[in-house]
Formats: sequence, C-alpha cells, structure tokens
Amino acid sequence: MDRRTFVYQAALGTLSVGLVKLKLHAADFTLRDLRVDLQAPEVPPTRLSMPGLFPGRVVEAHHSAAIVNRRVSQPAMREMVERGMKALTGESAAKDAWARFFEPSDVVALKVNPSGTPLTTTSMPLVREVILALNAIGVPNRNIIVYDRNSDQLQVNGYHALVPPGVRVAGLDERWTIKGETRSGYDRDVYCEMDCFGERETRSYLGRIISSDANKIINLPTLKEHNASGVTGCLKNLAYGTFNNVDRTHAKTKTYTDPVIAIMCTAGPIRSKAVLNIMDGIRAVYHSGPFAWNPEFVWEAKTLLFGTDPVAVDRIELEIVEKKRREVGAPSLWDRNPANLGNTADMQRTAHKNRFYREPAHIRTASELGLGTWDLERIDHKRLQVG
Amino acid sequence: MDDSTTNWVTLLAGNDRRGGTSAARTKGPDELIWKATLPESIRSSPVLHAGVLYVTCRDGHLYAFENRTGKERWKFQAGAPIHSTPSISGDLVLFGCDDGAVYALDHTSGGLRWRAEGGGPIWTSPVVSSGLVYIGSTDGTFKSVDRNNGHVGWTRQLPGRIHSTAYVSDRLAYFGCSDGRVYALDHASGRDAWVHETGDSVTAAPAVVNGLVLAGSEDYSVYALDAASGRLRWRVETGLGIASAPAVADGRVFVASKDGHLYALALDDGKEVWKSASMRTMTAAPVAGDSIVCIQTHYGETHAFDIKTGKELWAANLGGSLQSTPIVTPEAVYLATYQGVVYALR
Repeated sequence: MDRRTFVYQAALGTLSVGLVKLKLHAADFTLRDLRVDLQAPEVPPTRLSMPGLFPGRVVEAHHSAAIVNRRVSQPAMREMVERGMKALTGESAAKDAWARFFEPSDVVALKVNPSGTPLTTTSMPLVREVILALNAIGVPNRNIIVYDRNSDQLQVNGYHALVPPGVRVAGLDERWTIKGETRSGYDRDVYCEMDCFGERETRSYLGRIISSDANKIINLPTLKEHNASGVTGCLKNLAYGTFNNVDRTHAKTKTYTDPVIAIMCTAGPIRSKAVLNIMDGIRAVYHSGPFAWNPEFVWEAKTLLFGTDPVAVDRIELEIVEKKRREVGAPSLWDRNPANLGNTADMQRTAHKNRFYREPAHIRTASELGLGTWDLERIDHKRLQVG
Repeated sequence: MDDSTTNWVTLLAGNDRRGGTSAARTKGPDELIWKATLPESIRSSPVLHAGVLYVTCRDGHLYAFENRTGKERWKFQAGAPIHSTPSISGDLVLFGCDDGAVYALDHTSGGLRWRAEGGGPIWTSPVVSSGLVYIGSTDGTFKSVDRNNGHVGWTRQLPGRIHSTAYVSDRLAYFGCSDGRVYALDHASGRDAWVHETGDSVTAAPAVVNGLVLAGSEDYSVYALDAASGRLRWRVETGLGIASAPAVADGRVFVASKDGHLYALALDDGKEVWKSASMRTMTAAPVAGDSIVCIQTHYGETHAFDIKTGKELWAANLGGSLQSTPIVTPEAVYLATYQGVVYALR
C-alpha cells in the first residue's frame, strides 16, 4: 500500500510531499493549511501511465457538421473519433490506433460526465463510438463499464438504456450484489483523508470499479467551466468523479480544488489506469458550470480533444474557455476581484458573477506532481478540421 | 379467474398510467398522512391495489404498505437491486429484477409463487394478457412466460437493450428498443408483425389507443404509428430526447421531454394543444386523470395541470423521480422519490 502525506501551506504557496517542496500558484492566501493523507494500492507505472504514450500532445478535432438539427451527429462523431485517434497516435488505421492502448482481455472503464443539463454531458454518440472501437479490437461488451459517482445522473441521461447489451453502467453510489455478496461501490481501503472546512466525514473513498474491477480507464470529460476549479476537464472528471465526498473541498468563495484534484489523480489506480482522454466539446460551457442551467452559457464548439496527457488536454481546454469568455466580455477564470463574487442565482444570471475565486491552477499543480505538461510552449497542439 | 382481473396490459395498467386507480382530484395535497424511508433509492413507480401500495427498491426488496397507515404488511427479498415497476395480475404481484429473473408473489402474503430465470437485468414492468406475462430485458431478449407457473413460452433476441415496457393488445405486443425501433410482435409466436425505425433509441413504454401506437424516441420526437401496419400517422418534434412514457386521456396524448416541457398533443393529428413551462428534465411518465395531468420531475417537483388548459393547479417539492409516476386518488396522493422516500399525502 502506498501512503503519502501532502501538506499544502496556502500562505507560502507550497505543497510538500515528503522531502519535496513544490511552489504552487496558491492564489488564496487566506486559506488555512491543509494536510492530505492519501492511501492507495501501489500500482507500478507502465508506459501507458500518466502522462501516457504521448506526453504533451493534444489533438483538437473540429467538425462543422457535428450538430445536425440540434442533435449530435453519429456519423460526424464517428469520423472525428477515427481521425482524432489516428492523429494522436500517428497510426494510419483506427484499429491500430486503439490497439496501442488496449488488449482484448482488458476491463475498460469509461468515465463519463453526466452532470449538467442534458446538453452538456458526455454525449451518447461519443460513448457509442468508443464502445464500437473497443469491440473492433476484441474487447467484449461484458468487459466495458460506463461509470460515474452518481447513478441518478447516469440514469436521467439514459446511459443505462442507450449502450449496447452487455455493457455495465454503474454509479459508484450503488451497492453491488455479485454472486450473492453485497458490497459498497467504494473501497474502504483506498482513500484521501483531509479536513477542509471542519466537515464531519473527513475521508473520500475511491470507487471500487477503479481500485479493483477495471485495469484501464478511458476518460470522457466534457469541455466545461467549473465555478470552483475553473474548468472541469480530464483531471477533475477523474478525481471528483471517482473519489466520493468531494463537494466539501469548496465552500463560501474558498476552494481547495487546487491542490486536491491533482493529489487525487496521483493515486496509483487512477494514475496508472487512465490511459486515454477524449474530451467532449461538441457543446461546451463557458460559465455557470458544471450544471449550466442557463443555456445562454452553452456554445456549440463542435470539438473533441484527444490526448494521453490529462494536464496538456486541460491546459488547452482552459485556453479555449478563456478565449470564449474574452469574446463575450466575461472576466478571466483567474479573476480575483471581490466585486465579481455573487450567489448561485447571480452566477446563473450573468457571466460576470461567480460563487468562488476559481482555482484553475490545479492543472499546473498536477504538472508539478508529474502528471503531464502545463507549459503551452511544450504542448504539441495539433488542430484537425474533420469536416 | 377471468381475464378482466388478471390482465395488466402495460406500464401502470393503462394508457392513462393511473396504476389501476382513479385520478379525479384537482386539489393539491397539503398534509402528510405517512411516509416511509427505505434503505436505498427507488427507481420505479409505486402501484396501488386493493388498499396496498407496492414499491420496489434498489435494496432488492418489494415492499407492501397499507395505503391508509403506511404500516408494512410484508416485504420480499429478491436476488439483486430492483428497478422494475411492479404490476398486478389477479392474486399476483409481478416484477423484474437486476438478477435477470421475473418474480411472481402472492399479493396477500408476499410468498414466492414462481421465479422465471433470465439473462440481463430486467428494468421493464411485466405485462399480462390472456394468461401470459410479457417482459423485455436489458440483454435484448423479449419473452412470454406462463402466468401460472413462470414457464417460458417464446423468446426473441433483439440487437439492443429493452427498457420499454410493452403494451399488449388482443393480438400484438408493442415495445421499443435501444436499436431505435418500435416493434410489434405477434403475441402468440413472437414473430414480427411490423417494425418501425426511429432516429434513435426508444426506451419508454408506448401507449396504444384508437388504432395508434404512441412512442417517444431519443431522436426528440413523438411518433404516432398505425397499430395494424406500423405506418407513420404523425410525428411531433420536441426540444430533446424522450425517455418518459406517454399518457393518454381526454383525446390527448401527454408527453414529457428531457427539454423540461410537458406537451399536450391532439391524439388525431399531433397538434399542440398546450405546453407547460420548463420543469427541467423529466424521465418518468405523467399520470392523466379525468381533469388533471400530473408529473414528477427529476429535480424534485411534482406538478399538476388542468388537463384541458394546461393551467398549473398545484405543485409540491418533495423529491426527485427517475421513473416514478405519482398515484393520484380522490383521497390521497402517493409519491416515491429516488432518494428512497415514499409519501402518502392528503
């Protein structure tokens, strides 16, 4: 078992791990120090472990006909996934591209993002194409699990009803009955312990699907602003969608999402198993995320981002959301002006108000912890016009 | 036992989704009669029959409560979590289970009468007609089972998941599939009578009335198909996918879309009669009574509308629903929430 303690000293802007002391962005000096104890199985890193086979590479695929008559086009999605995967890997055949990551015996967990309006969740056409691609290289449906923390959100979005027979759709909040034995969806031996704001339950447990059932993860986040962490991309989708009890890290304008998101992603089962990220930006959110009740803040970006390096993909996502916010005259995600703080209703009404000082620096912290590439100069950003 | 007491031909007994009860009240509930908090989430609809409220729960139990007091009469432990809405046939309570089986219990004692084994989890509600039980499964099988002993008659294997509870007429069984098709199978042989292709998955139960099959699709549209031939009679597009079974009453079809609106459409031609204000996402079926139509939303509100005008009559905010339809009677309103609470309200 791997046991590590991270000490975040907000006033100094440092994160210590053993003898290593990292200098972080640490924008909110009023936060008190945070000690985070991470206990997770030791999973030896492989060539696929974060940042994976292609550190620093991000493919941004755009298709002008990705939305037809208000619906995500399955044929356009097929083309985008095929060409995006080939561009990421350099393979000339899509099947060979997928075979760089997966073998027929793998048990593959697809981490979707089901939170938000029905328009801004991981779209079914993307999930279907990923399943078909896995089938094509021999991964059977019974070895594929679509998961998230919240089974009600999975169900209301219809994942359980829309995937092919045999694919398991599972909320980590469900109890499992397997061969007569009932067990929790969370693993009591794998957790992140911290006291953020005096909460009663100080542990966040890892989903059992990731600690034991699956040996690979395909991360399918959405391209969305997040009112606390700046963006909810690859890193947050993995960390806060696989560990439970995470809402407690952000309260009343203050947030520990940086560094907690990054720390959680260093847990062996996540770091070693998340081998591929495909970010769904067909419809994207520039404000009031992750739920985006106000459709005014949703735009049709018609984009997918591909990468094995979650930090690099999130960095590009951050730039895309920042660009959109500049276009509409909204404050930057790094904004620290107290006059722009507001309540939930304010945030849903106008892109000039937010509930928190956002902390997108969790992406840079993840880079400091060795999970990928933050520096834009070092990111190989390929743009692909698919159609 | 004659057919009139053993038949339960579709989700919640009929096209109006009243669960075999009446829905005459227009006044909103304002007093709690009782509530029961179950150990896990409720992902199905309650059914009221002969003074007993039957509720399945993801803890793997079917609960039987006295409707007036909330006293638990009995509960039955199945082999896995339950997402299937129960149905009633004579002295039996039937439901599907995530262990792949269909269970038939004695409705007074809760004792197991038979259990029909299957493959994948069953989320649909068993329907009964002329001594046969029809059930679709997430493994893509649709089969008929003898009501008296659970012996399997015929089985069809389809390419998609079946989450759509069937409607069984005197000749055909109608249901949707995640392969995007609406199927009409001969209920004696299981062979195709006709198949109609929509643009995306059909996951909700259809309604069948006046020679029309009414089905919502994830392609955003409501389809009205000729019940005999499957030919398209009319089609109406909503703002998002449809996972909610339509309810029919008063010459109108009521459809809830994930776009948050409840649509009242003329049965004959699909013309919009009225459309509610947005209630965010809805995936459960509405219940249509003599004068009201009522629906529970995902985000916790229950709304009741005048069936003719669409004017909102009352609203309650007690908890969200994924597949739970309120039971509305002149005496009480019964609600089940996915948070696992059952309410009886006066």
